[in-house]
Amino acid sequence: MIELYAITDNPGPPLPDLAPLGALSVDGLAAVYGPASSGEVTPEALWRHEEVVEALMEDRDLLPVRYGTCLEDEATAVRAVAERRADLAVALDQVRGAIELAVRVLLADERPAAAGPELSGAQYLCAKARSASERESAIRTLHEPLSILARASRQASPRAPSEPLRAAYLVDRPAVPAFTALVSRLQDANPRLRLLCTGPWPPYSFTES
Amino acid sequence: MTGKVLHGPRDLDPFAGDLPRLDDALSRRIGADPENVQRGLAQLVLTIVELLRQLMERQALRRIDGDTLSEEQVERLGQTFMELDKRMAELREEFGLDEEDLNLNLGPLGNLL
Amino acid sequence: MSTAIAEREVALVDLVDRLLGGGVVIAGDITLAVADVDLVYVSLRALVSSVATAKEKELLPRMGDAL
Repeated sequence: MIELYAITDNPGPPLPDLAPLGALSVDGLAAVYGPASSGEVTPEALWRHEEVVEALMEDRDLLPVRYGTCLEDEATAVRAVAERRADLAVALDQVRGAIELAVRVLLADERPAAAGPELSGAQYLCAKARSASERESAIRTLHEPLSILARASRQASPRAPSEPLRAAYLVDRPAVPAFTALVSRLQDANPRLRLLCTGPWPPYSFTES
Repeated sequence: MTGKVLHGPRDLDPFAGDLPRLDDALSRRIGADPENVQRGLAQLVLTIVELLRQLMERQALRRIDGDTLSEEQVERLGQTFMELDKRMAELREEFGLDEEDLNLNLGPLGNLL
Repeated sequence: MSTAIAEREVALVDLVDRLLGGGVVIAGDITLAVADVDLVYVSLRALVSSVATAKEKELLPRMGDAL
């Protein structure tokens, strides 16, 4: 069994040392793989996998493959990638020269959850309306300006009333400092919100062509 | 690996995950063994129900905003949605599903919810 | 909690989101279960577009009427 890490251009620079890796070529693309990892899915296993993908990302463009993509053997993998070759090539082009940044926004002051028998129906709807408007406001004041500095963006579906925004941004590598500077300025301008920006990540959220 | 936090508040706690839940999510999303088929079906059904619930709630909020609904009608609407919310939580609990599990990737159409 | 540990935990949330919810999906030898689910995805696509159209044309049930 083999496990896939990423789809890259072929040919490309030599593979990094930190794990037993191979590359299967399918036309102008390559699928980077290693032996399938047995054992539990732990945070450590996830970080180890991520380290491989990020080592690849240091000197090439790539499409990260979903974690746990295990295939029977090299031949199966080649067939699977060949089937999707055209779409993968387009998707890889779309992320060339860019990485992903993650942004999460929380309300600074915690409010009691909008649920429970003590709430009246009207209070429940009022709380829902408030979260909806906080979400719209976060989109206007944060997501839109950040999106301007990004090649593309994706917004996650609403998670909790206390989290008005969770989004991913595809940012050109040279534009990353300007993006994080903007996050910092937006934080200063919005003291009632808490902004978090993590990255750079491989473009997990931008693999659909 | 170098740190991933590019910008964050001094107190990162609110952004840290709930570890027990993370472990759950990890073990659940990996592995497509046959036992999961039933859960997978429940997941699909509940996702559709959740979609409808969200649509109805959104519609209701719009009506309350625009129309002249009596206090009593607003209260009854709210109670209904609260009850629905509670039932959804119970159903999710019964099938061991997270809120994040109730979403579907529709390929080029993105996520359903 | 030390900053390094806190940063790691925080980053883990974003990592899990991405590793398990994103990335290229390549199904190798598709199992029957996955194949069945794929079919349902196709009909859900139809459901989503018909719901979207119904919303546009205001055909969704009017909440006030039901009361």
